[in-house]
Amino acid sequence: MTATEDRVALDQWYALGAMQDFRAGEEAVTRLLGEDVRIRCSTGGDIAVTAGTRKLPIRTDYGHLWTSLGSPARPVFDLPESREPDRRAVHCGPVRVRASGLRLIENFLDLAHFPYVHSDILGTEERPEVARYEVEQRRDVDELWATKCEFFQPKAAAAAAGGQISKYMYRVVTPFNVMLYKTAPTASDRWDVIALFVQPLEPALSIAHPFMLVIDDTSTDAELIGFQQMIFLQDKIVLENQRPLLLPLQPGRETPTRADLSSVLYRRWLKEKQWRFGVEEPTAIA
Amino acid sequence: MLRFHDYVLSDSCYKVRLLLGLLGLDHVRQPVDYYPGREHLQPRFRTLSPLGEMPVLEDDGLVLWGAEAVLCHLANAHDRSGRWLPREAEAFGPVMMWLAFAAGKLQALSKARETALFGAEGDLNAMRRQGRAALRVLEDHLTDRGLAGGTWIVGETATIADIAAFPAVALSHDCGIGLEDYPALDLWQRRVRSLPGFVSMAGIPDYF
Amino acid sequence: MTNEWVPLALGKDVPAETTRAVIVEDRELVIWRGADGQAHVWTDRCPHRGMRLSLGFVRDNALNCLYHGWSYAGGGACQRIPAHPDLNVPASIRAGVHAAAEAGGMIWSRSGDQEAALPELPDGTPVCSLMIDADHATILAVAAPEIRLTGVQLFSLRHAGADIHIGWHKVQAGKTMLHAVAEGGTAEAALLLLRDLRTKAEGRAAA
Repeated sequence: MTATEDRVALDQWYALGAMQDFRAGEEAVTRLLGEDVRIRCSTGGDIAVTAGTRKLPIRTDYGHLWTSLGSPARPVFDLPESREPDRRAVHCGPVRVRASGLRLIENFLDLAHFPYVHSDILGTEERPEVARYEVEQRRDVDELWATKCEFFQPKAAAAAAGGQISKYMYRVVTPFNVMLYKTAPTASDRWDVIALFVQPLEPALSIAHPFMLVIDDTSTDAELIGFQQMIFLQDKIVLENQRPLLLPLQPGRETPTRADLSSVLYRRWLKEKQWRFGVEEPTAIA
Repeated sequence: MLRFHDYVLSDSCYKVRLLLGLLGLDHVRQPVDYYPGREHLQPRFRTLSPLGEMPVLEDDGLVLWGAEAVLCHLANAHDRSGRWLPREAEAFGPVMMWLAFAAGKLQALSKARETALFGAEGDLNAMRRQGRAALRVLEDHLTDRGLAGGTWIVGETATIADIAAFPAVALSHDCGIGLEDYPALDLWQRRVRSLPGFVSMAGIPDYF
Repeated sequence: MTNEWVPLALGKDVPAETTRAVIVEDRELVIWRGADGQAHVWTDRCPHRGMRLSLGFVRDNALNCLYHGWSYAGGGACQRIPAHPDLNVPASIRAGVHAAAEAGGMIWSRSGDQEAALPELPDGTPVCSLMIDADHATILAVAAPEIRLTGVQLFSLRHAGADIHIGWHKVQAGKTMLHAVAEGGTAEAALLLLRDLRTKAEGRAAA
């Protein structure tokens, strides 16, 4: 597997995992954009990340280790909810997925699959309709937002007792980092934050780093993590069985509907950026 | 009162979740932060299960760890029909044999799944090869049973032999093995999924 | 697949209201059967977001995609999109349909336009579909001299007074699926023969 030449992809920040997973005196090897990356944690707790002989820049925002193989124009995106003291930060554990990271992000943005993939939890076949929602490309910060999303959910979260109409907002901060904001089951005027930081190892191999900042002082970590992991594993069987594995951006390859506004905007954004990593090459179409 | 220490993504724990559902048994579920928390390796958990093995079942003071032991106990102590663990000589031995198979050679699929999902140490290709070899054994057996008019691993009704083997087969996609090569397994897993009281788990491509 | 009919599965292995994934020359196909008993062979891909239809579910005579529940009628047209219950689904949204037929206990498909006759096959006892880690040339070489080639992807073996009809399809390089139906004799005896064939062919392929 060769390292990518996609300049746009290289000049981004990527999460490599939760800081708590890199223990003093240990070393880990992983991949990023087709290149081997080594993470060394000294006995004193200092972290160094290298690719070959090159030392890579690092950041430690939101309890995660971030790095870049290029020169990002901006720092890691801002997540103001991380500064709210009554939120629980929950790291749900990295999971490998044999699919393009771009497919993971799209699936995260999707509502229409709730009744089928997360039946009787995030949706039910009795109420499958996706009501019109709004999408916006905020060019000043180069982020995509989907707002006024709503969906009936039999069990919206670990702490939910009974069904509710959940309100959602989605925020895509980079092509491989996304978060959703969802009505907190125990505090209806506030939003739970569920984030997916995707580490693209190879064009069709990714590690998902799911992360939550939630208002919930009753559920145990095991319950919160278990709920999120169950949802993610339900999605994984879909992600690994989408064809092609790489995201097709050529018109006519796939068929969006009005419920897919977020993904339509996401694909348009990727095309504007001339993003190539994880994208189906036009010449590959049989 | 049954207290069941469970991890939602564990295929071993799922064997027990499945039998609890099929038997319609009330129980208290105790979620364990197996990953990433490694709660099963903490001293407190090890007082119940010395090797940290899951699942663990507590039944009025009796503590059992390991899926096969728990399946046997539930079938032995909580199934009035006696069908899930038949006692007659021509069925008991075969059920034990296939339980041992599920705990033994078929575990290659479980290890492959854990490696594929969480990046655990190991040669994924070797595990998949071993997994396929185990699947072939079960495929051949179910084909033989099918020609004899049978639909379950042992006997005329489903037993814990079917339950012990089911998760590895139903979750084979997690380690990149589909059921295209295994038509008898494909039919068998559909029959398991239609049993009254069946409960599914994340990773089984399931919708009715 | 070519213009010729290729056997993909035994009919008994695709009961009503089920799907079965098959791989033919590295291409993913889905066989599914409606409640009406009709077998279909389609490209294993939903045109919405590329999800494999073989992981979906059949209700009555429609195949539904696991991802968003898009529902496809037997002719391939998408008839319902659950996220938009009132939408008249455009006729252009269709699954990729291939010719499908059943004969001699097997399900056949092909991809050409020209007329092609299905092989003549008697109704026998279905034995099994068997995956072999060897290419068809090795399998035929190992089975010779007892085989009679009876079609493009069909041969028969005479054994203990019975004829075993074996259709085959190439899964990928080095992997073949056999589909066997016994005319006379017992299915068990035929199965033993097939397993022996598998052992010999894989032994030769590994050598």
